[in-house]
Amino acid sequence: MSHIHIPDGVLPIWLWGTGWVVALIALTIASRVSEREAVRRKVPLLGVISALVLVAMSTEIVPIAYHVNLTVVAGAILGPWMSIISAFVVQVILALLGHGGVTVIGLNTIQTATEMILGWMFFRTLVRALGRPRVRWAAGVATVLTLVVTTTTLVGLVALAGAGPAAIRDTGALNPATLRFGNPLDGGVVNIGLFSGGHEHAEETDEADHEAEADHETEADHEAEADSSLSVTRFASVVYTLGPIGWLLEALITAGVLGYVARVRPSLVFEGGMSQTESPHYGDEHGGH
Amino acid sequence: MDITAVDSAAVLGTSRLHKASAAAKVAAFTLVLATVVVTSDVLVLLSALALLVSLAVGMGLPLRRMLPLALYPAVFAAVFAFASAPSVLSAVLIIGKAVTAALGGVILMFATPYPQVFAIVQRLVPGIVGDALLMTYRSLFLLAEKLTNLTTAVKLRSGLAAGQPVRAFRATTRSLGGLLLYSLDLSQREYDVLRLRGYEGRLRVRAIPSADRAMDRAIVVGAAGLLAITIIVRTMPAAVGAYTWIFATLTILTLLVTAITRWRKS
Amino acid sequence: MTEHVHVHEHAHPDDPGCEEVVRISCVRHTYEDGTSVHLCGMDFLVHRGKRVAVLGPNGAGKTTLLYHVLGLLRPQEGEVQVLGASPSDDWRSIRRRIGVVLQNVDEQIIAPTVFDDVAFSPQQYGLPDAEVEQRTLAALDLLDIRELANRVPHSLSGGEKRKVALAGALVMEPELLVLDEPFEGLDPRSRANLIDLLARLSTEKNMTVVLSTHDIDTVPDFADFAYVLAPGGSIVLRGTPAEVFSNADVIAQGNIKPPILAELFARLRERDADAPEPALSVQAAVESLEAWKHG
Repeated sequence: MSHIHIPDGVLPIWLWGTGWVVALIALTIASRVSEREAVRRKVPLLGVISALVLVAMSTEIVPIAYHVNLTVVAGAILGPWMSIISAFVVQVILALLGHGGVTVIGLNTIQTATEMILGWMFFRTLVRALGRPRVRWAAGVATVLTLVVTTTTLVGLVALAGAGPAAIRDTGALNPATLRFGNPLDGGVVNIGLFSGGHEHAEETDEADHEAEADHETEADHEAEADSSLSVTRFASVVYTLGPIGWLLEALITAGVLGYVARVRPSLVFEGGMSQTESPHYGDEHGGH
Repeated sequence: MDITAVDSAAVLGTSRLHKASAAAKVAAFTLVLATVVVTSDVLVLLSALALLVSLAVGMGLPLRRMLPLALYPAVFAAVFAFASAPSVLSAVLIIGKAVTAALGGVILMFATPYPQVFAIVQRLVPGIVGDALLMTYRSLFLLAEKLTNLTTAVKLRSGLAAGQPVRAFRATTRSLGGLLLYSLDLSQREYDVLRLRGYEGRLRVRAIPSADRAMDRAIVVGAAGLLAITIIVRTMPAAVGAYTWIFATLTILTLLVTAITRWRKS
Repeated sequence: MTEHVHVHEHAHPDDPGCEEVVRISCVRHTYEDGTSVHLCGMDFLVHRGKRVAVLGPNGAGKTTLLYHVLGLLRPQEGEVQVLGASPSDDWRSIRRRIGVVLQNVDEQIIAPTVFDDVAFSPQQYGLPDAEVEQRTLAALDLLDIRELANRVPHSLSGGEKRKVALAGALVMEPELLVLDEPFEGLDPRSRANLIDLLARLSTEKNMTVVLSTHDIDTVPDFADFAYVLAPGGSIVLRGTPAEVFSNADVIAQGNIKPPILAELFARLRERDADAPEPALSVQAAVESLEAWKHG
């Protein structure tokens, strides 16, 4: 669940605005910490790992149509601070390709960064607990744990999306209680009589219009209260039923990738990408390495 | 998500939109985005979409390659709409918002080389973030090419055929493992290059000046006009809501005229 | 036991008054995987304004040698001096005076457009914008690639990328230019143009050039001196190209196939002791053979 595919203009402004603010604050802190030392080494590492995540996202396992994320791998290599920067970079490029909205870049950055940081944290802890020979298990379990948490944060995010009937009506936001989008159309915006759902507001005064909206608002609130528990449960049950298939696939891939690198270049996996100190480019001295 | 195709179209394109300044195009895209956020009227949204398609058609942009990217978010929006929208109109609004915003972004990226867009983003974010963005862009093409080669090699060597999900899964994992190693080596070599070439903590991108100032003005004024109409409709629905169909009709006519003109020219 | 041969010692610019730009003395480097390169046998010396080629079979340590010159590797034994400094310790003090083109130019081009990439170093060194632009355009003109200025690097052909990398290396007008396999992937015309350009820069600007190459046929046209490395890094031979390629035994020991003209003259001399001395350029070979033919 490394990013949400909610388009622009669906979430309430306060939510995606807050997402941007939080992401930019985190980005500023992460940049300050990262710029303290070895910037020259960090910039290319950030570039290639972010590119790797983007390339992985474009890779589909054809028979099962699953797209890989590699966010836990990225977290394990980059560590927490650089993960925040990488998450932002990945989301900016994805958004510019129409893959996720521009307004939700902030929220998506938080979501992806959380996934990378948790992945890094769980992986480190599990490697310590299980020992280096069980790196594949550590990677797989860390991935599942991470995805369980980030799926839950996604549900939380959706729950936040419609807090307050005014926001729901004004933005067409998803109402967490009903899991319905607030319907501005009922409020008299499309009112030319072309659509059966529209009201004939064109001839009404502004005052009358406000009254109609107020009535509708109250009605929606009642509906929301009535449907609340059932809808959240339904949404959560859908996510937690389908989610584990994705978690398992991502866990297997992450375990495979980190296990492979641990065998070939263990320091990169156990100490992170910054541990590499010597150029691996020695022409043909190593038989075309 | 074929970033190479987008990049080629942006770099090799010669339309008037390509000649406009990146700043003007980003400003216009921001205004379109604001329109999408503000509007709650299907007809206004339809008008915005028609204007964007007219722009793409009029400028001779590769619409066939653009549409899959622009329609991609529609799939997710449709899921949301299906699950949550209380009426058909709400569902159309949700999907329309997704497609319009995405088409705006895709037009921008098909008509503007990435570095020019990143240069603007770079000015707004901390130094290391801007540099990482540019470095990601550069690495993306190297890694995409490497992954293609690795995947082909792994497939050929493992004799992979259709209907073998377990083997396909293993092959993908192996390719990605190889790609990760290559990536880390690449980062080290890029570090060497940065050191050799005197990197001091800021990659710079030269802004390419506009070659068509009239186009700059036209797209910004057009997008601002669209937003203004949207705000008026949004804030005074009772007064002007009844007339949005006129706007929608005009934009659809514009699209038709543009398409016919373009078709005749070609 | 490897034989170390100094051929034609008086031709080697060890003479007093000739400024030393690079000196590598018996350097050893062991990589993380245990591969060891021992650049020993004789000192690797390059003097100002000279063009020097490093030859050797795969795995002999050519790139390792160049990486020591560039300070990318720190010698575990021995000494490296470049422009009077130790490059691995003091790269900052000499970096503006050195231009580099690495083997994989794709990875060397780091900026998003050709112009930005060529302008990279002068910008990083804090030169004024006007000077950055003037230097960049001059370097693009020198390589005849100004029309590529606004292109993105990945859309270029291999030869164009190499030219961009070279423009980026030349933009600071370096005193020392280091090139790792610069002729790789170039068509014959581009290769000839590059040789002409390097020769011109070396002569006009007194630029010192060190390059490694597998392309033996380019060496006589390009180099004032050549060094031959044997597997494991031993420097087994140095001299002018004519001297180096006339030393058939050591050349064979280094698994190097001599240029076709050197091989032709060697065969002629095997058949006829009166055959002329090897000529390494086509023009020289024609003249030499004509003279031999007419007695």
